[in-house]
Amino acid sequence: MGLAFSKIDGKSREFYILLILFSIFTLIGFICFMVSYISGHHVLGSSSIIPWGMPITITIYLIGLSAGSLILSSLTYVFGKEEYRPIARLAVFLAIILIFGAMIGIALDLGRPEKSWRLFMFFVLNNMRSMFAINGILYGGYFLIGLVYLAFIFAEKTKFTKTMGIIAICWAALVHMGTGAIFGFIATRPIFFSPIKPFEFLSAAMASGLALLMIAVVATFKFTKRNLNKELIFSLSRLLRVLIIVLVVMVLIDKLTHLYSPHREPTIWLLTGPFSWIFWVLQVGFAYILPMLILFHPQYGKTLKGVMVAVFLVVIGIFGERFSLVIPGTAYPLPFYPGKIEGIWGMAGSFPITPIESFMSLGIFTLMGLLFLVGLKNLELLPVDESGQQTPELTKKT
Amino acid sequence: MVIDLDKCVGCQACSTACKAENNVPYGSPDEQRTRRDIFWNKVIAVTNGKYPRVNTELISMPCMHCDHAPCVTVCPAKATYRREDGIVVQDFRRCIGCKYCIVACPYGARSFNSKEQEEKEYHRPDLPPDRNVWGQWPFPTRTHGVVEKCTFCFHRIDQGIKEGKKIGTEVVPACVEDCPAEARKFGDLDDTHSEVSRLLSSRGWIRLREELDTKCKVYYLPR
Repeated sequence: MGLAFSKIDGKSREFYILLILFSIFTLIGFICFMVSYISGHHVLGSSSIIPWGMPITITIYLIGLSAGSLILSSLTYVFGKEEYRPIARLAVFLAIILIFGAMIGIALDLGRPEKSWRLFMFFVLNNMRSMFAINGILYGGYFLIGLVYLAFIFAEKTKFTKTMGIIAICWAALVHMGTGAIFGFIATRPIFFSPIKPFEFLSAAMASGLALLMIAVVATFKFTKRNLNKELIFSLSRLLRVLIIVLVVMVLIDKLTHLYSPHREPTIWLLTGPFSWIFWVLQVGFAYILPMLILFHPQYGKTLKGVMVAVFLVVIGIFGERFSLVIPGTAYPLPFYPGKIEGIWGMAGSFPITPIESFMSLGIFTLMGLLFLVGLKNLELLPVDESGQQTPELTKKT
Repeated sequence: MVIDLDKCVGCQACSTACKAENNVPYGSPDEQRTRRDIFWNKVIAVTNGKYPRVNTELISMPCMHCDHAPCVTVCPAKATYRREDGIVVQDFRRCIGCKYCIVACPYGARSFNSKEQEEKEYHRPDLPPDRNVWGQWPFPTRTHGVVEKCTFCFHRIDQGIKEGKKIGTEVVPACVEDCPAEARKFGDLDDTHSEVSRLLSSRGWIRLREELDTKCKVYYLPR
């Protein structure tokens, strides 16, 4: 062991400014949610054609980040890689916050959020053939397992932690594959329908989770003036390269199979139609090509700044990947009858970005930021000492 | 239900009758633009060919009430369920509004009610007069935040069975009753003596999107 963890002081001006800023945006998000709840979902961008909008996009994105983050914490606690121990606690804590944010996201998307308890009445009021209900078990269990896992880590019970870690990573993989199955098992929507979707989601989760974890680690270490072992970030960035390659292969297989009949036309529409910029710029450009160029670059791949730009692009790009799945997937008009359907029923849906929805979405993120700050202040998440390398500056304690 | 495309003229009387019968909001131009207007029954126009050799088919589409309904499979809250008699209904009290059924429905038969009904363009002082006669629906009132769909006017059918009337001749859904061309026929598909069985045995029929194996119960008699 030999690695102590501590809370942060949380007395600096920046900390409070950030806290207040996050609180304000969370409050705005909550107000926007109340507006959408009381006056109805017509204030959001979703319609009967594109029923799932920003909240669901954010939800699956956050679940991915969470699952990826939790799986990476297992590097230390299950596979015994001691060099990642300084960030492992942070990873588990981040995973719990992110799944919490994801659940909030689902609740915001529900037309009747006060009835969301019905999702958790397993086998009694639920239709267990529904992927959504199965995912209810997965998400709920995941949240509890994450909490127990974190508790064991805090109690420094190595043996229990390892057992719990194995359960947690299996469950996290299941959670995100289940999320992929929500989309992949819908035969009606050609862009969704694909048996590889669960695995694609899982690999995207790993890549984005790692990227977000790296951002969180660098940001908190910098902010609390801790010395960061740069080799740690570079070894993680080498892992990220592999994960992105796996993801690219998955997406390539998915899109290639879809380019053959019978899903050819919707896929071509996705790749060239009105939403194609999300796919090409955000997904392919930001998540795959640019980070790969940076990470494989002999110079930029070896600097902290270059790596940080790359992981930032990945985090944005994976969001684009979710967006280019959810929105165009439902926007493509359904072929009710062979031939050209005239008028509104043959038109692809459009998704307007509305202020209420944007602030609501921002509110989810700031709420998580708030919880993260509170967690840093009250839980011993950050390392104090790693053979003299990561000593926090004592001068900060005033 | 059997819809004779040879007789259908695309007058939208079925859509209007449905809106009047089930108190479905009429919608506004703005809702039409953003595609939030609620349709329990819609009529689509499908063209094939190029001018001057062009052919337009008008397909009136209620909910297909599939035997293997994708919406029933995906609903997590058992809000959408298939009744004993095969009608797929939506219970507003159970619906949590997750919209998964809209994503799963291959026929676009489902609409999300995103607005409270008391607002201006929805305002209707006159409820359908027979509402009191038909008694309690399985939901108290129309409410926003839930998904709606065609119910084959099950309140009429239930009432008709209670009064011992013959379903398909004396009691039919509103769209069937109001069709001026008598293109729609309603009845029991299992009953060999019913009008729908007779039509299906006498002519070739199609069902929409057979490739998804939904086994839907709305049959079309092609032209």
